[in-house]
Amino acid sequence: MNISEIMSEKMIKLQLQSKDKISVIKELVELLYKNDKLYDKGKYIEAVLKREEEFSTGIGMGIAIPHGKSSAVKEPALAFGKSVEGIDYGALDGKPSNFFFIIAVPENSNDEHLRLLSQISRKLMHSEVREKLLKANKPSEVIDALK
Amino acid sequence: MKIVAITSCPTGIAHTYMAAESLEIAAKEMGIDIKVETQGSVGAENELTEKDIKEANAVIIAADTKVSKERFMGKYIIEVGVQEAIKNPKELIERAKTAKVIDNDFVEEVNKIKEQRKAETKGPYKHLMTGVSFMIPFVVAGGIIIALSFAFGINAFKQEGTLPATLMQIGGSSAFALMIPILSGYIAYSIADRPGLVPGMIGGMLASSSGSGFIGGIIAGFTAGYFVNFLKKIIKLPKTFQGLMPVLILPLLSTLIIGLFMIYIIGKPVSAINNGMTVWLKNLSGTNSVLLGIILGLMMAFDMGGPVNKAAYTFGVATLSSGQPSMIMAAVMAAGMTPPLGLALATIIAKNKFTAQEIEAGKTAWALGISFITEGAIPFAAADPIRVIPSIMIGSAVTGALSMIFKSALTVPHGGIYVLAIPNAITNLSLYIIAIATGTIITALLISILKKECR
Repeated sequence: MNISEIMSEKMIKLQLQSKDKISVIKELVELLYKNDKLYDKGKYIEAVLKREEEFSTGIGMGIAIPHGKSSAVKEPALAFGKSVEGIDYGALDGKPSNFFFIIAVPENSNDEHLRLLSQISRKLMHSEVREKLLKANKPSEVIDALK
Repeated sequence: MKIVAITSCPTGIAHTYMAAESLEIAAKEMGIDIKVETQGSVGAENELTEKDIKEANAVIIAADTKVSKERFMGKYIIEVGVQEAIKNPKELIERAKTAKVIDNDFVEEVNKIKEQRKAETKGPYKHLMTGVSFMIPFVVAGGIIIALSFAFGINAFKQEGTLPATLMQIGGSSAFALMIPILSGYIAYSIADRPGLVPGMIGGMLASSSGSGFIGGIIAGFTAGYFVNFLKKIIKLPKTFQGLMPVLILPLLSTLIIGLFMIYIIGKPVSAINNGMTVWLKNLSGTNSVLLGIILGLMMAFDMGGPVNKAAYTFGVATLSSGQPSMIMAAVMAAGMTPPLGLALATIIAKNKFTAQEIEAGKTAWALGISFITEGAIPFAAADPIRVIPSIMIGSAVTGALSMIFKSALTVPHGGIYVLAIPNAITNLSLYIIAIATGTIITALLISILKKECR
């Protein structure tokens, strides 16, 4: 399984417009919705926010990974957004977040997709990967960084 | 230095894995061997093996879900939320590194001993011990009450309505009557659970009444237990009738079969043995008195209340009918006193070979022994027949022979130490006591040597 199965250049936005947590989630969900990954935008946002309530997915190191598992999701997908100036996402380390990975998982997704997502999550823990993401100027460079 | 960890988060999509990766990166930088099991939405991955856990110094559980800790018994566990592992992996590993290391060898040793014990107390031995431990209090209570009755004079209980008669009724015809049924009932209970109790106790009762004594009781207990298990296996009932199994079918069938078995298969040969022995002894009366003393001793100790013992005792009592003091009766009584006395002494000189309960029972055995209540030895004999029975037989044989050699003679059929209160009840008293003491010491020594150390 290839990363391109859940990620595409069309779902990568290198300059996010949003300035706060709620709007950045909405902006990213819009990316998923436009690319036909969701049945129901509102319902999916609800799932993501519910997950955020448990504790912030802003894990520090400038990374946030809002995610939701919901029947409103058509197929597993990952959208990426970057904000150079950073957004206050209530991260664990209190610093603004620059990279946003939003993960959409349907209620009954197969293990292969989940494994792929887990591998991407693991990659984010490596500083050289984060370095590459920070430098990325083209959507293809983002995908390369995660490969 | 090795650390094992588990990461887990509620959705199991991202944090579980980020935490795992972050721990692995930190461990690598710190030069520490780590294995992280992830419990995410795909289930457990990179699962920790028993070997991993055994080798690990500490366990880190970074989870916001419930993680079972059973596998980590005896290990130092650090429990934190999953974010903690993402945020401060190095700090966690540092804590794990400096954690007090629990001595693996010691823990292992303890587990090994536990397992051994489990294995050893399985099977027939465990069932026998269950029966014996339930029986001991009955022997102790009944035996002491009987001894109390004798304290009023060895024949005092024959006067109806008196206190000694009442004591005898409580100790003898109640507590002692329950002794064998309790033994076999709880052997069967240990084997087959509750349904075993009914045929076990009834079988034991029949062993008692048909004269096969405690050996018959042990047979009844095991047969009943295994038979009930067999019935449980072969009887298949439709669901609606399953309720009848424990209240009607199992008790009825098992009791019927065990009862018939005890009477026809065990009871008949037992009375034949008893009769045969009696006849055989009568024919022996003319022979060498020392040899007769040995034989009577062996018989008295062999089954303590069973057919062999009864034959010897009855034979002894019969020699009193002429009204003359009887050397045979004296030998019989002396030989009947040494088994409990020898065991009581053994519990003192070889404490490590008896359970705490047996050591307590040993104290009572002194009182039972001096009162000529041979049954005081039954709990010990039932628990370890192969070593105990030969030991007490040899001790009793020596006592029987010595009593004959010393030409001690007795005028009464019972009483133990209480006969001393009766003038001229026994001749050659001091030598008679030596005979009893010698058998007691021999029995105690043999048991101390033969018996295995108690676990």
